[in-house]
Amino acid sequence: MAKKEQRAITAPAKKKNVFQILWRYRVLELMCLPAVVFFFLFSYMPMPGIYVAFVKYNYRKGIFGSKFVGLKNFEFLAESGKLFTLTRNTVLYNLAFILLGNLLAVFVAILLNEIRSKWFKKFSQTLMFLPYFISQVLVGLLVYSLLNYDTGFVNEVLLALGREKWQPYSDPNVWPVLLVIIHLWQQTGYNSVVYFAAICGIDAEIIEAAKVDGANAFQRIRYIILPSLRPTIVILLLFALGGIVRGNFGMFWNIIGTNPMLYDTTDIIETFVYRATMSDFNFSTASAVGFYQSVVGFVIVMIANFIIKKIEPDYSLF
Amino acid sequence: MKKKLLAVFLSVAMTASLAACGSSGSAPAAGSDTKTETKTEAKAEDKADDKGTADASGVDTSEHVVISYMTTGDPPEAGSEKEQNLNDMLAKLNAILTEKCNAELAMYYIPWTDYLSNYNLTLARMDGSVDLVGTASDWLDAWPNAKNGAFLELSEDMLKTYAPKTWESVPADHWDLCKYDGEIYLMPEDNYAQWTNHGWIYRLDWAKEAGLANGVHSWEDMTTYVKWVKENKKDLKNVWDSDGTQYAQMANGWIVSHSDFVAIDGICSGALWGGSKSDLYTITAPAMTMTDSLVEYAKMMKEWDTAGVWPTDVLNNTSGSNRDEFRVGQVAVEQHHTQTWTDLCSHTPANTIYVDDPKAETGIFYFGEEAKNIVALSITHGAMAISAGSKNPERALMVYDLIRNDPECYELFNYGIEGVSWEKDANGLRTTPANYNSDTQNINGMTNYWWGRNDDLEIKDATRNWDAIDALYAEYDKIKIDYPYGQFVPEIDDIQGKIDNCNEQYTNYMKQISFGKYNGTAEDIVAEMQAALKTAGIDDVTAALQAQFNELYK
Repeated sequence: MAKKEQRAITAPAKKKNVFQILWRYRVLELMCLPAVVFFFLFSYMPMPGIYVAFVKYNYRKGIFGSKFVGLKNFEFLAESGKLFTLTRNTVLYNLAFILLGNLLAVFVAILLNEIRSKWFKKFSQTLMFLPYFISQVLVGLLVYSLLNYDTGFVNEVLLALGREKWQPYSDPNVWPVLLVIIHLWQQTGYNSVVYFAAICGIDAEIIEAAKVDGANAFQRIRYIILPSLRPTIVILLLFALGGIVRGNFGMFWNIIGTNPMLYDTTDIIETFVYRATMSDFNFSTASAVGFYQSVVGFVIVMIANFIIKKIEPDYSLF
Repeated sequence: MKKKLLAVFLSVAMTASLAACGSSGSAPAAGSDTKTETKTEAKAEDKADDKGTADASGVDTSEHVVISYMTTGDPPEAGSEKEQNLNDMLAKLNAILTEKCNAELAMYYIPWTDYLSNYNLTLARMDGSVDLVGTASDWLDAWPNAKNGAFLELSEDMLKTYAPKTWESVPADHWDLCKYDGEIYLMPEDNYAQWTNHGWIYRLDWAKEAGLANGVHSWEDMTTYVKWVKENKKDLKNVWDSDGTQYAQMANGWIVSHSDFVAIDGICSGALWGGSKSDLYTITAPAMTMTDSLVEYAKMMKEWDTAGVWPTDVLNNTSGSNRDEFRVGQVAVEQHHTQTWTDLCSHTPANTIYVDDPKAETGIFYFGEEAKNIVALSITHGAMAISAGSKNPERALMVYDLIRNDPECYELFNYGIEGVSWEKDANGLRTTPANYNSDTQNINGMTNYWWGRNDDLEIKDATRNWDAIDALYAEYDKIKIDYPYGQFVPEIDDIQGKIDNCNEQYTNYMKQISFGKYNGTAEDIVAEMQAALKTAGIDDVTAALQAQFNELYK
């Protein structure tokens, strides 16, 4: 959609009226129509519903008929005294997920690209992709079966080796590492596809020319592939940053559950809000939190975009 | 510049819409996959029959409608024999209902996993997908839902016209307890004797072996018992295959056993606020005041944890099949209420411990025994409401009136088909036929009708261990008090955030305390909890509730 708008605005200098411009690009417009309709239906139409964050929602009166309560719904998060810890955990986890995730994805994509055996390439790609399709509920159970103290696989192995048992479900400090590993295991296969596609899109002639000039594999990666991937990396990072205050609820909820011993290092905004408001089923509070996350996400994207624009204007989103 | 502005505008719009989408937008859709509907017949027309409710003269039942009855519980597996048995019963029941009020009943289950969220979510949909709603003021958010507009106000005219028997059978002072803001929202289960006070259910025969000749009568006895079981019954799966949710009843149990605290129902899941038997209308928060006792509790539970009473990772344990394990002798403890004990102590086909071990006996140590502090059930512990989204509220009332008061419908709905799921013995007691299979023919366990059982129509179950049960009930009757806060519907809109935060802190610390999973000393963890509760605003909530109490009672 953004592309269409740009086109329309940077239209030829000859002064044409809007309708002429619209007519001229009718084929392109038709092509982006599905996307426009999609975003209109699912992103713009429900937008007025954000008002629910400012009312005491009554089922029968509906969103706009309910009593307006101002910022009351936002007080809950502030009063919890946990806003800082929660935001910190959420942001740090996401930062680790985004940075390490993209780094590993690029690395994997390059490795895949260098594999010569076609069969092995497809095989390893599929194998890495599979965890992406496992539901978080199963992941939670899987992790529990591996790590629990009494009957967990890891502990059985440790016991067999004559080592002391390990008690991760009572130790908050191990979870940042474990959760990052689990996330990478699940997401890397999927993320690497994007980069792999970008690598495939690099003009083969450049690589051929480098080969002729005597560049070895490492030099080709360092001087051709990585620089070519830069715009993709930057854009994906920017997109990801917008969601940096939105935690991966499914993963945290299913793995950590409601074990308060681990909250110090694993409680994110979503899990806290779910636990605390689950009992009174409060749409309004939940929306207020969603709104808070959106605002913070927006600010972060703007800042990141601003910085990137200063450094390399071509790569910024706008 | 224009381009810039446009871009900024678009991105604002995008992020904002994410918020809107994530909250309100997802609400109606999310619950739909968890619901399970068992319809017995082809869908009848849904056309609303908007007859004025004030017109009490004639009841128009010309149109056949399906009344959807919502209850908590797991549905029988689709296509299973169990489902077939349920449908057989419903077919019979619906034939009667069709004849009497041209309506039929369909089950609508809210499965136990995250039941409260799904329950509320389903009510919030308000699309007419449910009509009769099983609810409860203490464990199913009846009042919050009434306030949120999920339940229909039931006018006297309406009740008199469409549910006349129910209207007559419930005395006026009971109807008063079902009112909020002058309107009746609930039809209470007020004529059914049951006790849902919690306690420790244990193997009495093992307790005797452990040297407790009279069984368990204090928390200290219980400690002796669990330690003895751990030492002497090594082939058990666990002494108690607990999961992390048990903390609330345990903590509340400790508190009522060591004080005369009486909790107020329905404020939040933990029993954080209440009065005391000696001074009913002064609000206290035992989490803050019973410091020494809670320290003692924390120490005792650490002792249990160290002894290995529950699985090491109990806080992440989600298995939750302890009760069935108790029935077959894999565990030695169950924490639940008296009503559950009446089942577990009886020689029913499901309780195989009594067949495997002729000496087996099951006792209960009820919470509050030491302090002689038990409270009878509130009549809205089970009640029926009509969804405000119902398209046929009148017919729903008529159906309810029948399944609550008509002997034939009542027996079908509660026990199943006579001769298949149950039969009467020579003494007129209810027993099971010879080829009865409790796994597939237990209709009572499928209709989950806990919202209007009626002692006038109940047929005593011959399989129950009435000697033990009657003895306990007699003991209860001697010390019980009636639930004193039936008329109190707390106004908590202004303090909801604080209550949520207090409950969250209480939950987090009580879980650690109740399962002995804390670092540092017992004194430290209790002090830490109290500090956290203070920060969360527990004093403000106590004060606000006290103000409402003063208005109502003083």
